[in-house]
Amino acid sequence: MHEKTSVLSAQGLRKEYGKGAALVRAVDDVSLDVAPGESVAIVGPSGCGKSTLLYLLGGLERPSAGTLALEGRQLEQMPETGLARLRRHALGFVFQAFHLVDELTALENIELPALLAGSAPRAARERARELLDQVGLEDRAEHLPSALSGGQRQRVAIARALANAPLVVLADEPTGNLDSTATTEVLRLFGQLHAGGQTLVVVTHDERIAATADRLITMRDGRFVGETKLAGGTARGLTEMAGLEG
Amino acid sequence: MGRLLLLARLVVGDIKRRRLQSGLLLAMIAATTATLTLALALHGVTNDPFARTRAATRGPDVSGLFEPGFHGNAGTLAQFVALRRARGVVGASGPYPVTRIELSWRGAHVRTHAEGRDTDRSAIDRPLLTAGRWTAPGGVVIERSFADALGLHIGDTVSLNGRRFAVRGIAVTSAVATSDPLIWLTERDLIALAGEHPSLWYALNLKLADPAGAPAFANAHAGGPDTAWALESWQAVRADDSQTIFDEQQLLEVGSALLVLISIAGIAVLVGGRMAEQTRRVGLLKAVGATPGGIAVVLLAENVLLALAGTVVGVATGWLLAPVITQPGASLLGSAGSPALAPGSVVLAVGVAIAVATAATIGPALRGARTSTIRALNDPARPPQRRPRLIALSSHLGGAGLLAVRLIARRPRRTLLGIVSVTIAVATVIATLIERHAPVLGMRVAGNVLAASRQTSLDHVGNVLSAILLAVAAVNLVFATWATVLDARRPTALARALGATPNQVTTGLAGAQLAPALIAAILGIPAGLVVFAVAGGNPLRANPPVLWLIAVIPATLIAVAALTAIPARIGAERPVAEVLRSE
Amino acid sequence: MPERATLPDREPLQGYQLGVVREVLLALLAGEASHGYQLRARLALALGPLAGALNEGQVYVTLSRLEKAGLLTARRVGQTDRPDRKVYELTPAGRERVDAWLHDTSWPKPAPAEFHLKLVAAAAAGLADPVGIVDRQRRELLVGLAQAQRAALAEPERSVAALLLEGVVLRLQADLRWLEACARYWNSAKER
Repeated sequence: MHEKTSVLSAQGLRKEYGKGAALVRAVDDVSLDVAPGESVAIVGPSGCGKSTLLYLLGGLERPSAGTLALEGRQLEQMPETGLARLRRHALGFVFQAFHLVDELTALENIELPALLAGSAPRAARERARELLDQVGLEDRAEHLPSALSGGQRQRVAIARALANAPLVVLADEPTGNLDSTATTEVLRLFGQLHAGGQTLVVVTHDERIAATADRLITMRDGRFVGETKLAGGTARGLTEMAGLEG
Repeated sequence: MGRLLLLARLVVGDIKRRRLQSGLLLAMIAATTATLTLALALHGVTNDPFARTRAATRGPDVSGLFEPGFHGNAGTLAQFVALRRARGVVGASGPYPVTRIELSWRGAHVRTHAEGRDTDRSAIDRPLLTAGRWTAPGGVVIERSFADALGLHIGDTVSLNGRRFAVRGIAVTSAVATSDPLIWLTERDLIALAGEHPSLWYALNLKLADPAGAPAFANAHAGGPDTAWALESWQAVRADDSQTIFDEQQLLEVGSALLVLISIAGIAVLVGGRMAEQTRRVGLLKAVGATPGGIAVVLLAENVLLALAGTVVGVATGWLLAPVITQPGASLLGSAGSPALAPGSVVLAVGVAIAVATAATIGPALRGARTSTIRALNDPARPPQRRPRLIALSSHLGGAGLLAVRLIARRPRRTLLGIVSVTIAVATVIATLIERHAPVLGMRVAGNVLAASRQTSLDHVGNVLSAILLAVAAVNLVFATWATVLDARRPTALARALGATPNQVTTGLAGAQLAPALIAAILGIPAGLVVFAVAGGNPLRANPPVLWLIAVIPATLIAVAALTAIPARIGAERPVAEVLRSE
Repeated sequence: MPERATLPDREPLQGYQLGVVREVLLALLAGEASHGYQLRARLALALGPLAGALNEGQVYVTLSRLEKAGLLTARRVGQTDRPDRKVYELTPAGRERVDAWLHDTSWPKPAPAEFHLKLVAAAAAGLADPVGIVDRQRRELLVGLAQAQRAALAEPERSVAALLLEGVVLRLQADLRWLEACARYWNSAKER
């Protein structure tokens, strides 16, 4: 029986701010193993530390204690240069505020990580086009972010996160700034990514996004307080919820 | 009262929120105000030094010297002394015995002009002791610039005409302009020493009822060409003095003017630069109901507060540091002591800083007040312009170049301000270089001890001035580069989240500065010439070393790159989330 | 008057009216007379993946009940090569009923009272941890939401059935929000 290899493995992660009486534990003794192709959703009320956890997982923040391994490589002591390289190839980040560059077109935004990683300009541009197709925005290639709706911008941001075919995509409240329609767009996209085998870790307080995950972890006050597997449910259950009785 | 409190809280809150930027601004204002204060202090020194010495030492309107055998032989001592009672004379001191004495010390032999004075408490011509005590038997008082030249201190033993005397004191006087150094002994000691020398002369100091008429008096009582005595009006002494100190005065005046110009330019750029980022705040204030007038008040209050704080620190620093520059300056000009910082100068410095802060606030405040609220809130500052060709080009530039073009070099206005700051810095350096190489020796007798000492003092003051000017240049450079790095925090954090390494970020930031720095360096050379000319220097007389001037260009590029790279690298090692969070 | 089927003890009460099928059939006939199988097909289209809830029998049973109640008439139509089929048609009484239904604005009640009281009672009697009860219920609803969500995403865009599923999802989301509030309340109640 071979053990399942995790692509992302965290043990006892802790992040503290402040000192003494003003000490705040944003993340308190969190352990997480993410298998390849798995999609994990972390939910909790605002201020529970889930965004901080995501930043820790992505190397954007250094833990106060604990270990973190990405495909076997230890992250917590890695120097910034190494972390930056990891972010190029192994991690893709999707921010709540999109953080697209205002004066670059959608295509130019998407190819940015590839170019930073040293891809040839043509190859990077090709890949950016593919990704734009994948997120369903091929007719918006030359648009600036200001000409895109919220949902479209977030999809561009997701495409950008996929630019270098990362091992794991980390998403921080990807539908936080979106309305219901835009949320459905993004939901659909995440569903496709998941079906395609992409490993996903999503932090959200939107249950709809959470419901697309394989595992749903609830976080409160910096700790994990419960986990749910979301597969299952009967057809009868659905009709009951819809208000129909057989 | 409530409104005032609210205003105070808004202002303090904003300053605390942008601590780094506010701190930088404050430091810069302090530095430039300190410079301004020093400049004004220096100007006070150069401003008619002779008059100050004359007032402090109760200088005579007419000084006379009875030197039979030197001038002529006609006339007796009694006739000379009778001038004390001539018409128009209201006071006199002397006659004091004077003679030439050879002073030897540590291998140096100097012919001095010695005067016998038992007390320094004369009504007219009261030499001002700057150290030690007045003459006593066996003791000698040395004139200050002479003492500086030889390095004499209280207690040293010198040989006068072969006899040993102790240095008891150091003093300044405005009585007579002489090319020989001046010393004082007791009358008895002097007569004893002179006794071994053929001639003993006498000095007389007269005060007139009408000081302006001194030249006429001197002419009237000079007697014929063969008269044994010579009379000099104080105007003539001053002319001589000015002649001697012309070059020093030139140096100091040009130096102080340079400092003033540079500091005002520096403050204007600083405050103007900060103004560019206030648009969003204006939007917020409008959204909560502030009137355009109210907004202008808040912005103004904040900038004036920072300007005042910076000015207070700067003036205090300038006050403390003033003796460093005014002491040697004053000594150089032979004037008495260094003047305390005139309250007028302080007020002027404060006034200038506040005026500049106000002027720089008004433009953006008005413009911001007119912008629609939503635009101001949504578009922080003006949205960057898109340059498709440049962006397409940047794909081929590799990581650092990509960053520089697509993420960093995005705001032309900020870049412009940066260029201006660097240009000021370069102009300062150029002007300093030119000034240091301007021929200053003028008419000077080579080999004269005093001349040599004057040269050393000149160099010393020149060095201090240059050091201050270069410090100002450095401060301007630091501001330009550090401000750019601070501004670029968010885009570089984003770049790092997308995979840019700290090296790429540092190189990109430094690289983005190079083109503007080159422009600034090239502009700075003529700017430096202009500044020098405006400061009163004569660029035609100047003989600037061309090689040095050209070398300023690569030096500027290296300096800018280095000054950018250091804070950039430091920032690039901090975790990305910290930076993103603080925006 | 809403008809309630007898429910197994463990299942919570539903707020929806069971008789929805009756009203819908009447309304569908208001446009034109139809065969039974046509009515069933249109219902299935509207319900999408939930169409399985309707078995063949139910539609025909309901149609005959409606006929007995005088809201429909049924005619036999002869077919050449098949057994005779019935064609159903609205009566004036039926039409009135449809009008009334279409103008009726009553809305299924959310009814949080039972769960709320369950938590209060558990806490008061010290029988169980209210937060635990909430968490269990949350899991149930999440599973349901996930299922509805998956079904909704599986539908082609702009399918009318997707709208139904979105309704399920959003209502569940609202319930989950309330449950989160309950959890927060009872959590801090524990700490006091």
